[in-house]
Amino acid sequence: MPFHIRESSPLHWVLRIISVSALAALAVYIASDSAPSTLGKITEACTLAIAAVSLNLLLGFNGQISLGHSTFVGLAAFTAGYSVNAWHWNPWVSLGVACLVCFVLGLILGLPALRLKGPYLALVTLAVAFVWPTVARKFLDQTVKASTLKGMRLRPPTWTGLSNNRTDRALFLFWLAIVLLVVTYVIVRNIRKSRIGRSLVAVRDNETAAAVMGVNLAITKTVTFGISAALAGVAGWLAAAQLATLDENSFTILSSIKYLLALFLGGAATLAGPVVGAFSYFFADDLLKTNATKWDFLPGPLSKGPVASFLLGVLVIVFVFIAPYGLVGFIKLQARRVAVVIPRPLRAAPLATESTEHISPAVAGEI
Amino acid sequence: MGHLLQYVLNGLARGSIYSLIALGLVVIYRGTGHLNFAQGEMALFATFGAWWINDHGVPLWLAIMIAAGGAFVVGGVIEFGLIRPAGKKSPFAVVVITIGLFQAFNSLSGLLFKGAATGLPFGTLFPNKPTDFFRLPGGAIWRYEYVGVLVTVLVITALLFLLFQKTKVGLAMRMVANNPDSAKLAGVPTNKILMLSWALSASIGAIGGCLVAGINANVNLGTMFGVFLLASAAATLGGLDSPLGAVVGGLSLGVIESLVTNYPKSWWGSTYIGADTAIAVAFLIILVVLLVRPSGLFGSTRVERV
Amino acid sequence: MSPEPTNANGVAPLLDVRGLTAGYGQVQVLQGLNLRVAQGEVAVILGANGAGKTTTMRAISGMIARKGAITFSGDPMAKRSPDEIVRMGIAQVPQGRGTFTDLTVEDNLRAGAFVRKGADIEADIQEWFDVFPRLRERREQKAGSLSGGEQQMLAIARALMSRPKLLLCDEPSLGLAPIITQELFAVLQRLNAERGLSILIVEQNANLALGIAHSVFVLETGAIVASGTAEEISNNDAVRKAYLGY
Repeated sequence: MPFHIRESSPLHWVLRIISVSALAALAVYIASDSAPSTLGKITEACTLAIAAVSLNLLLGFNGQISLGHSTFVGLAAFTAGYSVNAWHWNPWVSLGVACLVCFVLGLILGLPALRLKGPYLALVTLAVAFVWPTVARKFLDQTVKASTLKGMRLRPPTWTGLSNNRTDRALFLFWLAIVLLVVTYVIVRNIRKSRIGRSLVAVRDNETAAAVMGVNLAITKTVTFGISAALAGVAGWLAAAQLATLDENSFTILSSIKYLLALFLGGAATLAGPVVGAFSYFFADDLLKTNATKWDFLPGPLSKGPVASFLLGVLVIVFVFIAPYGLVGFIKLQARRVAVVIPRPLRAAPLATESTEHISPAVAGEI
Repeated sequence: MGHLLQYVLNGLARGSIYSLIALGLVVIYRGTGHLNFAQGEMALFATFGAWWINDHGVPLWLAIMIAAGGAFVVGGVIEFGLIRPAGKKSPFAVVVITIGLFQAFNSLSGLLFKGAATGLPFGTLFPNKPTDFFRLPGGAIWRYEYVGVLVTVLVITALLFLLFQKTKVGLAMRMVANNPDSAKLAGVPTNKILMLSWALSASIGAIGGCLVAGINANVNLGTMFGVFLLASAAATLGGLDSPLGAVVGGLSLGVIESLVTNYPKSWWGSTYIGADTAIAVAFLIILVVLLVRPSGLFGSTRVERV
Repeated sequence: MSPEPTNANGVAPLLDVRGLTAGYGQVQVLQGLNLRVAQGEVAVILGANGAGKTTTMRAISGMIARKGAITFSGDPMAKRSPDEIVRMGIAQVPQGRGTFTDLTVEDNLRAGAFVRKGADIEADIQEWFDVFPRLRERREQKAGSLSGGEQQMLAIARALMSRPKLLLCDEPSLGLAPIITQELFAVLQRLNAERGLSILIVEQNANLALGIAHSVFVLETGAIVASGTAEEISNNDAVRKAYLGY
């Protein structure tokens, strides 16, 4: 018999505070004890996580697939890089503008999404992802006349007490990435827990039924697309803050596929899933890439480069069989044997209970 | 006018390959509702296989046949060993697996075939000396290799349509596509049909991959990615559950691509042109078509129950 | 009222179901169901919405996981797959007709004969066109374009193309106009009388079903609560109140 915890009861709060402080302590420990290269990797992983979190809002909670998120990330990175370098904008202003630009493009992309479903929507968004590098290339050819655009080279502000050397800059970017990831996560969490979040899920589970219950499909779906795109823009801005140069080929369909994998591996439609998935995917990939070169036991004619990539593909496939609802889904399933969080009853009519329970074990009882 | 004719004919040849790969996607989609993201890379692996067999002294045509046969087996095994068990686990599982296969097959090709990344010379399937072409009215020329590709694909497509429309297996495939439950109740072993769909799809893909490599006279790790994108676009344009749609979609995309690439200067200035732009235009057209017909040109719309 | 009626003639029943349990996921719908259909008879299962009628049909046809003993002509079939069961001689007309809407009427009939081999398939198609002339008129049309009644006829003809010994009909009256429903039941009765086809029907429309049934089973929450001849059941007060409304 599992242990029952009521949502938002004192015990639940204690558990929440313990887990949040543990994560914060972990971050402080990593920051104090890691080489700049490690911090850089974590920053990259955070970028991936933010993109996956934004995709989760759209795909996991609203059921709209997008293979075009690489476009939003790339567009935000280019907007930030260009406005800071060419127009000498304040980088923080460029964050707002990049998100706004992505929001608008997201709204526009959300319009065809109203009529298209599943694989048809996947294709249209894929088309956008395909076209983006070409557009970016033309833009670079026409304006900066260079193969790449410079990044923002963000300096740590003076109040942090950090100087602009490599170590301090890595530390600053690390904390910046953590803060942005937390902010993105909290935004998505609050949307999910609100009335709007419930209408998103209702639209995902049954559009017709949701419309009959009074959800405005057109507004819900397009605005979700817009918000998701804007959050993806945060990831793009962060990439521009970290990278010295911005190449249009860093934001191709393959990046979109990476976001999708990170999301599914962590657990779609769970709040923590995309974050856990992004970190696991990033470091599994990194581990294989650094170690594959050392494997001398491979027979001579086999080239070592693709080994890591091959193993990652195999790993992904094997993983799906072990945890079909992602890592978070898997952990929740195991944790449920120990303790169950009972959701807080809603103030609205009892009819409006979470409609997600039957979808997957991963969805029920989000922390 | 002569040029226009020539561009259209060349476009048809490339488009026919897209339609072949698209047919492979449609065969799987009809059966299970899954989009096989690994279709292109499975074909790539089979194409490298054909190269390897050919490299060991087997005539190219025969090597392609063997590779297609091998792909048939591999496709069936993938359905049986991965897709079917994963489908029972979660709706996302199959998507993730096809993405995993995409990566695994691409890197496996790089792993097994030395020089795959930079490209291996692929033999020619049709006469392709500079003088091997028909002269058409208006000064257009039609190269034998383009004729060869188009004819080969049309023959394979015709055989596939015969299979779908005139054989018992084809009837079973249509039954499973239309109503899997009723197909089971009529005694169709649906699992075997789905396995066959994957096998057939992989086999078609292998032939498509070899035709691309033949035209390019080269096969490398990136050969199939763009082809796969256009093929999936073609399948979507035609309607993912319609074989006829895949053929029409593929041929039209080939022609669009050829026209856009070959009419640069007079239309929009040479700096803006490239294969990518052609694809961008193609995708734009698809977007418009899908907005008018959300299930593609020939796809069937299903009524949803609440 | 015994839960296991014995056949009047004492011959082993065509279909014998004992202790059938089945369900979906964690939910068990059938809780040890017993029923028998004799050779050449029309048996009817009466039951309200959610009683488990469709589940019973799907369990017999092997479409869902099930436990219990099922024999057909004495052969155990509880572990058989749907296609093996069709080959044994059981054909089902599923609820909502289950026609292949994208296939032509003629292809639908060919689809029904999937388990058969040989040249007499075409002859059978012609035979069913004689029985249902409307289908002949529309043989080149897609099944999806037929009216509800025509689709139900097509579904029955398609099921019969496998030359079954037992026909299962899952709520054939669903969504049809009363006059069409009557026509349909007349067809079923004729098939039974003229060809000796054994039929098992599940129905909510008790009046119609009792009219053609030889034996009747009443299904409630996954188990048979009453059974007997059509006459016995019609005279049962509780059943009358619940299903006939008088």
